[in-house]
Amino acid sequence: MAKVELKAKQNTEIEDRSSLKGTMASVLFLLLFIIVSWLGVYYLFVDRF
Amino acid sequence: MINNAKAIVKVDSKDAKLSMAHFFVAFGALAIGGLMGLLQTLVRSGKFELPFGIGYYQILTAHGVLMGLVLTTFFIMGFQYAAVSRTAGPHSSAARRTGWTGFWMMTAGTLMSGTMILLNEASVLYTFYAPLKAHWIFYLGLTFVVVGSWVDGIAQIMTYAKWRKNHPGVPSPLLSFMAVINTVLWIVATLGVAATVLFQLLPWSLGLVDTVDVLVSRTLFWYFGHPLVYFWLLPAYMCWYAVVPKIIGGKIFSDSLARLSFILFLLFSIPVGFHHQLTEPGIDPAWKFFQVILTFMVVIPSLMTAFSLFATFERYGRSKGATGILGWFKVLPWNDARFIVPFIGMAAFIPAGAGGIINASNQMDQVVHNTIWVTGHFHLTAATSVILTFFGISYWLIPHLTGRKLTKKMNKLGIIQAWVWFIGMAFMSGSMHIQGLLGGPRRSSFSTYGDSKQALEWIPYQIAQAVGGTILFIGIILVLVIFINLAFFAPKGDEEFPVGEAENSEERAPMVFENWKLWLGILTALILFAYTIPFIDIIQNAPPGSKGFRTW
Repeated sequence: MAKVELKAKQNTEIEDRSSLKGTMASVLFLLLFIIVSWLGVYYLFVDRF
Repeated sequence: MINNAKAIVKVDSKDAKLSMAHFFVAFGALAIGGLMGLLQTLVRSGKFELPFGIGYYQILTAHGVLMGLVLTTFFIMGFQYAAVSRTAGPHSSAARRTGWTGFWMMTAGTLMSGTMILLNEASVLYTFYAPLKAHWIFYLGLTFVVVGSWVDGIAQIMTYAKWRKNHPGVPSPLLSFMAVINTVLWIVATLGVAATVLFQLLPWSLGLVDTVDVLVSRTLFWYFGHPLVYFWLLPAYMCWYAVVPKIIGGKIFSDSLARLSFILFLLFSIPVGFHHQLTEPGIDPAWKFFQVILTFMVVIPSLMTAFSLFATFERYGRSKGATGILGWFKVLPWNDARFIVPFIGMAAFIPAGAGGIINASNQMDQVVHNTIWVTGHFHLTAATSVILTFFGISYWLIPHLTGRKLTKKMNKLGIIQAWVWFIGMAFMSGSMHIQGLLGGPRRSSFSTYGDSKQALEWIPYQIAQAVGGTILFIGIILVLVIFINLAFFAPKGDEEFPVGEAENSEERAPMVFENWKLWLGILTALILFAYTIPFIDIIQNAPPGSKGFRTW
């Protein structure tokens, strides 16, 4: 029983106010968007020239 | 800085007058330039012809000059003048006189160039590439606009210098620092365009010399042309970094990060003009390669900005109890025009920035060069990210300056306006991007090119551009209604000029950021390194100069 309580406490601590997880996810999305669009046009270049 | 920002909450009423004078010209240019844009998209749909012998290239020039040069320069100077007054204190009467002198020079120049375009004496597009030759009054007018903007900018520098003198060893207010970085960037960049206009285009259009060196002229133009887009963008970043956090009730993620990113923009946005000339013969590929590397350096402050904005939003959301990875997104103030209008601009910068990286990559430039993809690209950067942010700024700045309030009704109309703009631009810029990838040229009137199969494939996209252009024109009417309301009819009151505070109040920006000798020294070294040898090459191996052409 005591062990379960400890786990619940840890979970609330993870949702800490200074967390920047969403920022990390957002910049990774940006990176993915840039790479996919770059590769898309690069494919057109390779295909045409 | 923070104490100072709190002490002065209102822009001085005399400074407000000069800012408003800038905005009247800017929004006037938007009205006329916007109508020209609508007409262009209608002509290119193939379903409409211009009456009274008006030329397509005449309205294209009017659109580009009014939107790209007049609207932007006047709005930026008006906004920065107010931002410096708000954060570094009222301008002195000498600075104010300087500002008014600059304003009237710019206005006189705009009237000179505008008249020549209307008289069909200057259908040379807003890039005025030689050997297209306009009437000399067009070039003289542009000179007045540029020199006037220097004088106007000096007013801001005078007030910044006064603040620094009165506060030794203290970092200047963030918004004033940013305004001065942008003014310095503008002055250094416009030296190139001033050189080509004064030493090449004016003597040539006056008949003092017969020919012009086209490559020298284009190289000087693009030395100016790329930092020009950062001159448009940095005031939007001023709003994103230093104003939006206050509007949402959050904090600036890091004052020092914001300053560093502005310095990086100053350093890396100028010695990069060759990436606009990648297909140009006569420039050594090694120097093109070098400038492309410097171009990619601009990705760093751009991504620093993206990170910092996401972090501001997330920190604010979490302080309001948001949980999960993206829970903070939901608690942002979506009903506040002052936030959502610039936010749509920020979102547009994601595809806009990705497109920019494609344009600057040498091989990919061969796919998109001189196609309407490029027009689609800068309608996302300048005509969405930048202009929507400028509209968002207007919604609090105009009533602040005129002593009025942004009413709930106007707030709602502002939000509708931004969505109308977003939808119109999705149609117009989206179809421009696709048509460009299919080879559709930019800067060209409607043609089926002898009914060639490829050109016929472009027509549906041109119709989509006319649909988008029409929706965007409705957006322009809405923004003009809001502007006139806020300037003349909104109820009297006090609208806040929001100035954000740094999250960490202990944080003090390093004084090295204000060491102008250092940054201007590095900037000069980079420019000299990037341009000296290729420029000597261009002049030594120049072909015979070209006589002027009038194609309209």
